[in-house]
Amino acid sequence: MRFYLQKIGFYVVAIWAAITINFVIPRLMPGNPVDVIISKMGAAGQTVTPQTRHAIEVALGGGGGTWWQQYGDYIVNLLHGDLGTSLVDYPEKVSTVIGQALPWTIALVGLATVISFIIGVGLGMFAGWRRGSWLDNLIPVTTMFQAVPYFWLALILVLLLSRVVQWFPYAGGYDVATTAPGFSLQFIGSAVHYGFLPALTIVLSSIGGWMLGMRNMMVATLSEDYIVTAEAKGLRPSRVRMTYAARNAVLPSLSGFAISLGFVVAGSIVTEQVFSYPGVGQLLFAAVSNNDYALMQGVFLVISLSVLAANLVVDVLYGLIDPRTRAR
Amino acid sequence: MTTKKTRLLIGAAAVAASAAIALSGCSGSGGKNSGAAGGTSTVTLFSGQVGNFTENFNPLSPTGSGLQPTNGVIYEPLFYYNKAKAGNPVPLLGTSFKWNGDGTELTVKVRQGVKWSDGKPETADDVVYSLNLVSNNPALNTSGQKWVAKKTDDSTVVIDFPATAFTLEPQVLGNEPIVPESIWKSIPDPTKTTNVKPVGTGPYMLKSFTPQSFVLEKNPNYWGKGDQAPKVDQVRYISLSNADAATSALQSGQVDYMGSFLPTLKQIMAQHKNLSYSNSPQATTALFTCSNPGLGCTGPQTDPAVRQAMYYAMDRTQLNNQAAAGFSTPASPALILNTVNKDQITNPDYLTVPQSADVAKAKSLLEADGWTLGSNGYYVKDGKELDLSINVVSGWTDYDTICTLLQGQFKRAGIKLSVNQVAQNAWTQAEVSGKYQMSLNSINMGPSSNPYFQYSQYLSSAATAKVGGSATTNVSRYSNPAVDAAIKTLASTNDKTKEQAAYKTIQDAIVKDMPYVPVYVNSALAEYNNSHATGWPSQDNQYAFPLPWGGNWGVGIVLKTIRPVGK
Amino acid sequence: MTTTVSMGEAVPEVAPTAKRSSIAALLPSLSPKLIVGLSIGAAIVLWAIIGPFVVGDPNAISTLAFAPPGTHGHILGTSQTGQDVWSQIAWGTRGSLIIGFAVGVMATVLSALFGVLGAYIGGAVDEGFALFTNIVLVIPGLPLVIVIGNYVPQSQRGLFLVAVVLAITSWAGSARVLRAVTLSIRNRDYVAASRVSGERTWRILIVEILPNLIPVMASQFVFAIIFAILGEAGLSFLGLGASGTFTLGTILFQANQALALTQGAWWWFIPPGLMIALFGCALSLINFSIDEIINPKLRSSTRSQRKKWGLTPAQIRQLEQENLK
Repeated sequence: MRFYLQKIGFYVVAIWAAITINFVIPRLMPGNPVDVIISKMGAAGQTVTPQTRHAIEVALGGGGGTWWQQYGDYIVNLLHGDLGTSLVDYPEKVSTVIGQALPWTIALVGLATVISFIIGVGLGMFAGWRRGSWLDNLIPVTTMFQAVPYFWLALILVLLLSRVVQWFPYAGGYDVATTAPGFSLQFIGSAVHYGFLPALTIVLSSIGGWMLGMRNMMVATLSEDYIVTAEAKGLRPSRVRMTYAARNAVLPSLSGFAISLGFVVAGSIVTEQVFSYPGVGQLLFAAVSNNDYALMQGVFLVISLSVLAANLVVDVLYGLIDPRTRAR
Repeated sequence: MTTKKTRLLIGAAAVAASAAIALSGCSGSGGKNSGAAGGTSTVTLFSGQVGNFTENFNPLSPTGSGLQPTNGVIYEPLFYYNKAKAGNPVPLLGTSFKWNGDGTELTVKVRQGVKWSDGKPETADDVVYSLNLVSNNPALNTSGQKWVAKKTDDSTVVIDFPATAFTLEPQVLGNEPIVPESIWKSIPDPTKTTNVKPVGTGPYMLKSFTPQSFVLEKNPNYWGKGDQAPKVDQVRYISLSNADAATSALQSGQVDYMGSFLPTLKQIMAQHKNLSYSNSPQATTALFTCSNPGLGCTGPQTDPAVRQAMYYAMDRTQLNNQAAAGFSTPASPALILNTVNKDQITNPDYLTVPQSADVAKAKSLLEADGWTLGSNGYYVKDGKELDLSINVVSGWTDYDTICTLLQGQFKRAGIKLSVNQVAQNAWTQAEVSGKYQMSLNSINMGPSSNPYFQYSQYLSSAATAKVGGSATTNVSRYSNPAVDAAIKTLASTNDKTKEQAAYKTIQDAIVKDMPYVPVYVNSALAEYNNSHATGWPSQDNQYAFPLPWGGNWGVGIVLKTIRPVGK
Repeated sequence: MTTTVSMGEAVPEVAPTAKRSSIAALLPSLSPKLIVGLSIGAAIVLWAIIGPFVVGDPNAISTLAFAPPGTHGHILGTSQTGQDVWSQIAWGTRGSLIIGFAVGVMATVLSALFGVLGAYIGGAVDEGFALFTNIVLVIPGLPLVIVIGNYVPQSQRGLFLVAVVLAITSWAGSARVLRAVTLSIRNRDYVAASRVSGERTWRILIVEILPNLIPVMASQFVFAIIFAILGEAGLSFLGLGASGTFTLGTILFQANQALALTQGAWWWFIPPGLMIALFGCALSLINFSIDEIINPKLRSSTRSQRKKWGLTPAQIRQLEQENLK
């Protein structure tokens, strides 16, 4: 019981810290959003006079008051679920904008991470079980993929697979000309077709880590006494492998997986830049470039909360699965 | 047993891969644009949008956040001012206009028989309402002057200005959308509405919207007839994230109309005979310098001799070839275009900047000013090295390349240049506050090709502030009373002789002082695909300023002029 | 992109007393993997040190833009501004490696401080450090780096600053692992014995505990270097890298901005990435060998070991079919 109370206490503190950091950092950034808008208007050929600045400041509501007042307003708004109005997509609400982009990020990067985890852990399990097989030689290769800069690999794959041989499209989330979002087979097919290349690059570049971790844990677990006992009892090797060895070996990988799920949203930034994918990473980048405080805060909050949620799930699950962690 | 499992795994992977490819067949990637459903002709347009579209069709938004087709395609102004060609404004919702003698009253004849896209008639009352709505609302009125519009009869509107306002003409007649009074009078705050069901007089209206793409369809009630009516049935807008994606889209025929700088454009045009492009330069790329020590600027660039030396040390041919991919055109030291504004350049010496580097001249200018060549190859004066820093937005690749090349070119003339690549908001902030030495930016045209707008925005003391304060547009802190007087003259007269005299004063001053060191005139490329529609603007026939960027009213003219292929 | 944070990994019993002879037991055995890894790594480090003195000026512009490798003495061709790619890569390798090693050192020191020290002292200090570590762990790294990167003015954004920013966001994971390991060592008998016999805290830490941690810390140090180099490449790709100096990431950024691949200038885009991959690969191979120290069971029954048993191919096949581990 004390274990769970401690955990919950930690998470409350962590949430507060995340919210406060989300509030402080965008305000530390240099630059004033009004100036950015004015320079963009000038570049688009619109007249800009001293009154223009005033007009825009009036429209955007300034944001005056001390930091403490703003912080108070921010917390109150947060409790009402109001994340503010976005500057980049004025006058859309931040929650709407994020809500449109979030499913794409979760679908692509989340699915790719899950696939990478399953394949990586599966291969790692076999590699650990059959030491000295050809699978062992696969490990350095996959680890090399992890040492490659992700966007470099992605851009080369894009060059090969969508320009040299035109199997996959180079950009976008789905074919906008022929289908619209909804639960139709055509839309899902299109989304899968467009998401295959980004997912492939994510899987290729992260599979090595899972494989290596799982293999090492398998090797460690296989030397335990209970494995010897199980074999001596005459159980089928596949049962020993799955029920006795893999189940214990996968624990650290599971905790790492849950944590990396939390970072799915954060890690999508580079992917979405390369593939023009309409997700949250692009939003964050646009927000940072345009000093859009509200949108930046909103995206940070979503990322922090998802990481925290993933961590909470891991900690609770781990406490359930592995009683040793509870007794300290 | 393990081998069976391995085989199963491999089999599963193969099935997954082929399923992905097979499902792609379901999505039907062929026949995107033409002949989709019963012979509907569609043109796809890329306006530079990165990421999702936000549903906002508000033509009056002061932050310019309405989507691209709002101004020009869905809503129209009274007249169209073509920035790409010198000439008279094109009548749209207004048919003619006339100023009184001292520029305080503008009489406009309003077109009759125009209908809104919902079928209701558009009248002079709507024109009056729209103009006054903007004038009275401080958040919407970005011009800084108020006016009063009133209707004198069903076909005439008179606009009164408190002071001489000749230079407000393009703003009022060409930059204000006419909106239906019946709908907008019940909108509480016109700056905040997203106007998701726009009702306008333009050639197209909104058909459907998703965050990744939206579609416009022909307006059956459009006032233009025959050649002036829209002929292509649908226009689709898409978003792409970078120049790479844009290049691929153009080559594969997925986009018919876009305005991106593609460095491989010449090869693309050579390989694809169905593509064409036009170049409508309107901005002069220049080194913006914080030039006025009187207003707090510090650094070697406050010395006019240094600025002149930089002017002569540039090898603009190399810059054109390697940074602009050969698409830029020569600039003029008068900071206006020597094509559209040729007649307003008052001295033949001011027509073009030197295209190759004159290192000897640069060096002699510096040495005459008291600089001596130091041991490491850079000039020194009073113990200080000639060391300048320039800010450039990271990611604007042609500008980044210019800065890298300038570093090498200036080195030959003994000038040390260090380049700061910054994010756009930091770059803007530095210019506005004056806390910079040099910044690579461009002198943009105003709402029309009238040089008054460039000169008043970039040279007038009223548009600047001390270093540390906020300058609106004159970030160089240039302040010259003679120039200010000449700008005032330009604002208050329509007399050609007086205008030319004012231009001469201004141009003589800036060629000598050079607060902005011109580089070249930046290209503004628009690319077209002629397989689905023809009649696009061409280099010789720029009947509209064709860039499909936000705020360009010309897109409406282009879209209603093109014809689908095969009809 | 993903990291596996292993909690509660079994720590093997390495010889407890730090006498000279056991140093040999700490060093990895010379397997082919280790030799390959060390030689590639050493070659790249050597090139990073010597290369910039030997190659030409990476900043020299010319009108020979996008020249393929071999033209006019440019070994790897030129970039869009006519600059020599070969020289840029030499300088870039040096820049990236400096960042890599700086981050490795800083992250290891930070994680040792918050992981080992806190766990050893125990009590409230331990709880506090653990809480701090966990909070830093859940704050999203890349967005934070982006924001900090934007915050610092361009002119001051040198190599060292990028290294600091990367180190700040990467020490938390290793600290957690080190804490778990230290906690388990702290309760071992020989440590208790030292404490009871009156040894000073710092002496126990350095002589008893640290030697057990060295293999783990070495592996984390190597991981931190790889992470730093890749992280710097990612940051530069987004336009937030170091200014004024060449790193492999900034070269990739420039190449990508100039659409090098689309324009066919593969010699500008592929070699920097390849260099990063090679170095990362070498480091990973070294890491494998370190893994074998931590987990001695990884040493036995590898393919190379089995070859030493001198079995015939038929016997090997039979062995594999019987599913012996």
